Amino acid sequence: MARKRKYTKSQLREAGQGYLFMSPTIFTLLLFLIGPIIFAIFLSFTRVQLLGDTSFTFVGMENFSRILDDTRAGIALRNTAFYVGVVVPVQTILALVLAATLNAGLKAEKFFRIVYFLPTLTSSAVLVMIFMWMYRPDGFINSILGGVGLPTYNWINDPNIALISIMIMNIWATAPFFMVIYLAALQDIPDSLYEAADLDGANAIQKFLHVTVPLLRPVTGFVVIMGIIGTFQLFDQSYMFSGGSGGPDNSTLTVVLLVYQYAFAAYDQMGYAAALAVLLALVILTATLIQRKLQKDEEVY
Amino acid sequence: MKRSSWMRTLGITSMVAVAGVLAACGGGDDASGDEEEEVTVRLTGWQSSPTEQRYFEQTIEAFEEQHPHINVQVDTIADQYMDVLRTRLIGGEAADVFFLDAFEAPGLIQSGVLEPLDGYITDEFDLDDFQDPMIEAFQREDQLWGIPKDTSTLALFYNKEHFEEAGFDAPPETWDELEEMAEELTVDNRYGFGVVTDLARLQFIAESTGAEITEDNRANFSDQRIVDALQPIVDMRNEKEIAASPSDVGAEWGGDMFGTGRASMIIEGNWMLPFMDETFENVDYGVTEIPTVNGEQGSMAYTVSYSMNAASEVKDEAWELIEFLTGPEGMEIWTSSGQALPTRDSVAETLNYDEDDQFAPFISAADYATVWADDTNLPIINSNFENQFSSAFLGNRELQEALEEAERVANEEIRD
Repeated sequence: MARKRKYTKSQLREAGQGYLFMSPTIFTLLLFLIGPIIFAIFLSFTRVQLLGDTSFTFVGMENFSRILDDTRAGIALRNTAFYVGVVVPVQTILALVLAATLNAGLKAEKFFRIVYFLPTLTSSAVLVMIFMWMYRPDGFINSILGGVGLPTYNWINDPNIALISIMIMNIWATAPFFMVIYLAALQDIPDSLYEAADLDGANAIQKFLHVTVPLLRPVTGFVVIMGIIGTFQLFDQSYMFSGGSGGPDNSTLTVVLLVYQYAFAAYDQMGYAAALAVLLALVILTATLIQRKLQKDEEVY
Repeated sequence: MKRSSWMRTLGITSMVAVAGVLAACGGGDDASGDEEEEVTVRLTGWQSSPTEQRYFEQTIEAFEEQHPHINVQVDTIADQYMDVLRTRLIGGEAADVFFLDAFEAPGLIQSGVLEPLDGYITDEFDLDDFQDPMIEAFQREDQLWGIPKDTSTLALFYNKEHFEEAGFDAPPETWDELEEMAEELTVDNRYGFGVVTDLARLQFIAESTGAEITEDNRANFSDQRIVDALQPIVDMRNEKEIAASPSDVGAEWGGDMFGTGRASMIIEGNWMLPFMDETFENVDYGVTEIPTVNGEQGSMAYTVSYSMNAASEVKDEAWELIEFLTGPEGMEIWTSSGQALPTRDSVAETLNYDEDDQFAPFISAADYATVWADDTNLPIINSNFENQFSSAFLGNRELQEALEEAERVANEEIRD
């Protein structure tokens, strides 16, 4: 059933005015957000030559099928998945525990809040440089480990350890940020619930597991989604860590780093790089949708 | 409707302002000159040490003095030089003249963004004065695409104090001797031999048994002869424990490892000489030619050219700049720093480098060194070698297996 609505002249003018005011934003969004996305999707179906005589050749699904037999793409996906799989749960739990301890009414609570939050203020590049210094074979971390009789590692150059080094670094830097979000949410939990739990004879751990954690579930959903998106996009840390190579032995190669390498460090592979980027976007989208679905099923409200 | 007209005025004003700024930007370029128009030539290079920078500036100043109407605008790219340069070339923003490593040259030549230089070269410029392998590195399709500004080669550095302690009075002459001596020299916290595991350093060793690392522009690592040639280096670290890479001891690079006394011997380039003088002046060291591998002398040579952007609008002036910088006069000022060696025989003679104990090994190496340049796929082949060889060097897998993997992945990435 087609429903036609007639607009009066003044309604039209009002709408026109509205769009006129929105036009800078719409224009910016089209130019800098929607445009590049569409262009990237277009690129992923072409073979692009940018240097010299620019040319675009439509190649259909060739770029995508190439991903299937690209060994390094496989390694990059595996590394990234491993990274997300470890970092997201660990940083979420750590943030929750930190927030809960800070909310428990300790002395010098404000002081610890500041101290815990400091890592977040460091820029990523500075953070990596400081950590690379501490990770040196004769550096701070190995001195401490060696001092208490624990095994030491070649944190940066051992292919088995390098990605874990980046994980530690990243968890240390982002957990406090999510901690602050949890802290805000913790203030919203009504005291009456804890009082009721007290009357029922619950101890601190029981209160945490049965009152705090369930009531924080919506916030946890947010933290996990932001964590997933952030960790899938890991680039700067592994770039600096390996000097752009993703080494040693491809152990710190992530999908975004691989996209960068194909797009900017190799000749005429922009189309393939775009295909990898589109694939990564799809993976992140799927992961986020799955997370949201799980979240909905567990909704307490 | 007072408010809406106010908003409209604001909107129009800001639009006019933006248009004005844009117009002002566009007008900036065509400043008019008088009789002899002043021309700006842009030159892009990479960041270098302060010493090198000083000599470079001197060379440019000398040029500007002789060519008052040409103004050279130098800008350096601090990191990831080729990535930035490529991006600028694509965006049409690249300089008129830029440094180009022989290793990366074939790729750029093939894409057609460089200006062939044969048409500019005069007899007076005397191309024959240049060392042949350095010129050949920039020749393709019967054209010359860059003039080699300088070169560097590798030689063996050894710590004289460590040698005295161990009772040696001369550096090793063969690779077997080097291994034996490294064993004696290895003590607590110090390795006899420092190894830099790049293909750019190891190519001449890898090819010492007769095989080539590339065949038809594709990787050829799994050749048994290459595995055999590289195996001793891996064994020196993992079985004999007499060698290590700089990163094993937490050093940034070979010079760091050698200077701090964590390695008694190391193969490095002539850039080490000023570095040692400036940073580790108390270390008593000697320089000698690299010990023979399988009875053959070998070394690596690196060269960088000045190349011209095909899209340049001031090609004649750009050539004048290249001509001066690579001419006898400019090259002499530049290479007198000792950071890099001249590519002109006449300049090498003038500077007497072959009579200097420290420089002589590098000068002799230029005769037999393998030039670090190949075909268009060398960058891909190189990065895959690095990835896999380092894992074999660290003892994580067998060398043979690692090199086979490197070859497979490299050739997979090479399309066409």
